[in-house]
Amino acid sequence: MAAITLIEAVNAAMAYELEHDQDVVLFGEDVGKNGGVFRATDGLQKKYGKERVIDTPLAESMIAGLAVGMAAQGMKPIAEMQFMGFIFPAVDQIFCHAARLRHRTRGRLTQPMVIRAPYGGGIHAPEHHSESTEALFSHIPGLKVVIPSNPSRAYGLMLAAIRDPDPVIFLEPKRVYRIVKHEVEDNGEEYPLEACFVDREGSDITLISWGAMMHETLQAAEKLAAEGIEAEVIDVATVSPIDMDTILESVEKTGRACIIQEAPKSGSIGSEIAAEIAEKGILNLLAPIGRVSGYDTVMPYYRLEKQYMPTVDRILDEVRTIMEYK
Amino acid sequence: MKQFNLPDLGEGLPDAEIVRWLVKEGDTVTVDQPMVEMETAKAVVEVPSPFAGRIAKLHGQEGDVINTGDLLVSFGDGAVEDDATEGNAEPAQEAAAESSGSEASAEVSSEDVVGDTFMLPDLGEGLPDAEIVRWLVKEGDTVTVDQPMVEMETAKAVVEVPSPFAAKISKLYGQAGDVINTGDPLVEFGGSGSSSKKPAPKKEAGEEKRADSGTVVGAVEVGNNVVAETTNSVVKALARKLKVDLTQVTGTGKDGAITQKDVREAAKNSSSTAKSEPAPAATQESGFDTSNPLAYRASPAVRALARKLGVDLGNCQASGRKGSITRDDVESASKGGSAPASSQSAQPQTSSTTSSTPSSTGGLPTLNVEVKPETVRGVRRAMAMGMSHSHSTVVPTTLVEDVDISAWPKGTDSLARYVRALVTAAKAVPAVNAWFDGDKFERLLHPNVNVGIAVDSGDGLYVPVVHNADRMSMTDVRSRVQELRQKIETKSLKQDDQQNATITLSNFGSIAGRYGTPVVSPPQVAILGTGRFRNELKLTDKGITNAKMLPLSLTFDHRACTGGEAARFLAAVMEDLQKAQ
Repeated sequence: MAAITLIEAVNAAMAYELEHDQDVVLFGEDVGKNGGVFRATDGLQKKYGKERVIDTPLAESMIAGLAVGMAAQGMKPIAEMQFMGFIFPAVDQIFCHAARLRHRTRGRLTQPMVIRAPYGGGIHAPEHHSESTEALFSHIPGLKVVIPSNPSRAYGLMLAAIRDPDPVIFLEPKRVYRIVKHEVEDNGEEYPLEACFVDREGSDITLISWGAMMHETLQAAEKLAAEGIEAEVIDVATVSPIDMDTILESVEKTGRACIIQEAPKSGSIGSEIAAEIAEKGILNLLAPIGRVSGYDTVMPYYRLEKQYMPTVDRILDEVRTIMEYK
Repeated sequence: MKQFNLPDLGEGLPDAEIVRWLVKEGDTVTVDQPMVEMETAKAVVEVPSPFAGRIAKLHGQEGDVINTGDLLVSFGDGAVEDDATEGNAEPAQEAAAESSGSEASAEVSSEDVVGDTFMLPDLGEGLPDAEIVRWLVKEGDTVTVDQPMVEMETAKAVVEVPSPFAAKISKLYGQAGDVINTGDPLVEFGGSGSSSKKPAPKKEAGEEKRADSGTVVGAVEVGNNVVAETTNSVVKALARKLKVDLTQVTGTGKDGAITQKDVREAAKNSSSTAKSEPAPAATQESGFDTSNPLAYRASPAVRALARKLGVDLGNCQASGRKGSITRDDVESASKGGSAPASSQSAQPQTSSTTSSTPSSTGGLPTLNVEVKPETVRGVRRAMAMGMSHSHSTVVPTTLVEDVDISAWPKGTDSLARYVRALVTAAKAVPAVNAWFDGDKFERLLHPNVNVGIAVDSGDGLYVPVVHNADRMSMTDVRSRVQELRQKIETKSLKQDDQQNATITLSNFGSIAGRYGTPVVSPPQVAILGTGRFRNELKLTDKGITNAKMLPLSLTFDHRACTGGEAARFLAAVMEDLQKAQ
């Protein structure tokens, strides 16, 4: 058992499936010889050959189309989008074909594919490399959208995503790629999809987050504990479809909820979770549902990205406001 | 041993926080080599070394705040002069390689060097040129291998360009803002240090760095802290998804811990047998805890209404869907209405007198009487809260005195006279017509006189205010008071009508009572109570006469007024009241 980073966990999970399932193939820009711009696929081509770890031209629409075709023929493609900002040429293939082929063929064909993309800010990259556009994909029925928050979850959820019979958009918080390490046992044990993880139990407020923002959220929870506020922290992990049962159960216990996300506020996953809590958990609410998010603007250039992304202090402010609500 | 204190990082800032050390103890640094990233209130700044030498001690850790002028780095023995980097190049090189692991740092090699001139390498993805953001070195500096020399901005990111070897810099090409084409000269090495230049062992170092940094677009932060996955949360999540009751699962993991595998097995087994639904969450049947608002199901609107009416949700019948409390439930509870008589709810203890069933044999009929405490709310609650506040802050002192009002003609409007007397006295002694804040030790002497008049009602105590009484005639005062009383009766008294009193009058004598100790209402500092007047035999120089005496009780806040001020105020009131008109 070795302590590995999130990016190494992604690599390990893909390597495990390449090793154990001959149907798995992996492709994208620079994934082969170069090993990926973030080293997600480092060493995989060398080990599994150019037939299974394939360098593609710079053409995202083609990459996604290739995945649709392979998946329809029973293979299990893992396609990489170098940055989530580059995924848009592939959206036609993903929305119009991958997401609906099961429905279109009345279940005869499924799309056991994974589309990987690093998302989010905090690494001083240009602005369209730094956005969090998970809500766009969560709106499309037929797609699962999965965002791991730590190395163990990257490993377990990636395995589950590859083995899932339907298309999974697997978004990796690139800011977290190397900031923490976990002892991950490379034993092929997957984590459940469509399940929230309760990372901290508390009785006063439910903090709901996912991906990179889990780190700020957990830090905020520790600081709140010092103030006597016990926060329950939930990692949504699969942001579509959302495991609302876990969230509602928690809100029933705490009576208060605050959602923390890096994405802009309007029309976001946070909006959806807040609406669900309002619909189904209103009788338990003691205060309005809070949201700490990015702003409804274009992600700024990197000198301002820290001002854009939610901080521990912003979370603390919002939570205190909710706690003081009368 | 040389010491380096934190310099002012700009604009007279008092301190700065350590973001990241770029060097470690034992490292050898050169002049101007960045040692640490410090965050001020304005920016993150790299602090360069003022000396060439070996670092003995770093003062402070990441996250520490260092005051400007405080000790930051101690340099140890074996400090070397600028030029003599040869012997110390190795450790410095290690430090540089380590620090660059987490930064966007360009790959350079000796191939980029022509003669003594270093050409701008391709900073990534075949970009034709790059712009100089900032030089990190200056001509004459001696640099080590991999020491960042310049920040260059490409179309994609800002990249630090490191030196390919240890040498002395003789010339820098271009200034900040200049655009340099890939392959054009950037830095010329030479001078006394050039003999020591030696190409870096680029192969391994390059390979290793590539394995860490990965991309030239942006900079992924690198951390080394190993954190444990909360295994429990994964198992619980899986159990919830597979509808497995974890209390029924035997763990096979370490120390009997339940593993994911155990949960999957349990799910498989239970699906073949009867489906065991997880026990429903404990509902409120298990008894009320009135201190926990979550013991009741109620929408935020209902909770707000309950707060407004001062109703405890525990006293409401839950007649809504899924055992929730509705607006009607709250309203009926606020009317002292039906609390549920069911046994399952914990009512406030009720005292009741019970007796046998009505007897048909005559005599008085029996009564079943139930007496319950009622919630004090609205005006009465406001009174309770106001009085507590006064009692806990004001230092009250009461002066009593009688004033002879025999001169009043028949039919004199006493209330209007009291108001006029207060106004007159307030003008004479402004310290009593004032507001006082005992927390901030502030007082406000009012130029105008707003007289609050205590009015008793079935709902509780109202204190409507006659604003600017000092500018009103007695007739005006009278009609204004009538108007306010009317409003109280019709429950149309506005918030405005009750605010900003500067002094208060309590005419309890209209009912009964000779003297009293009226309660000052902060931030006001005084209240005058007028008692019931009476006839009294009075000895004058003309003999014994019948005098009509009015008892006065003036309570003042001794934090705000002196006894003398209060006594002078009372004297002024009496003087005005003694007048016939």
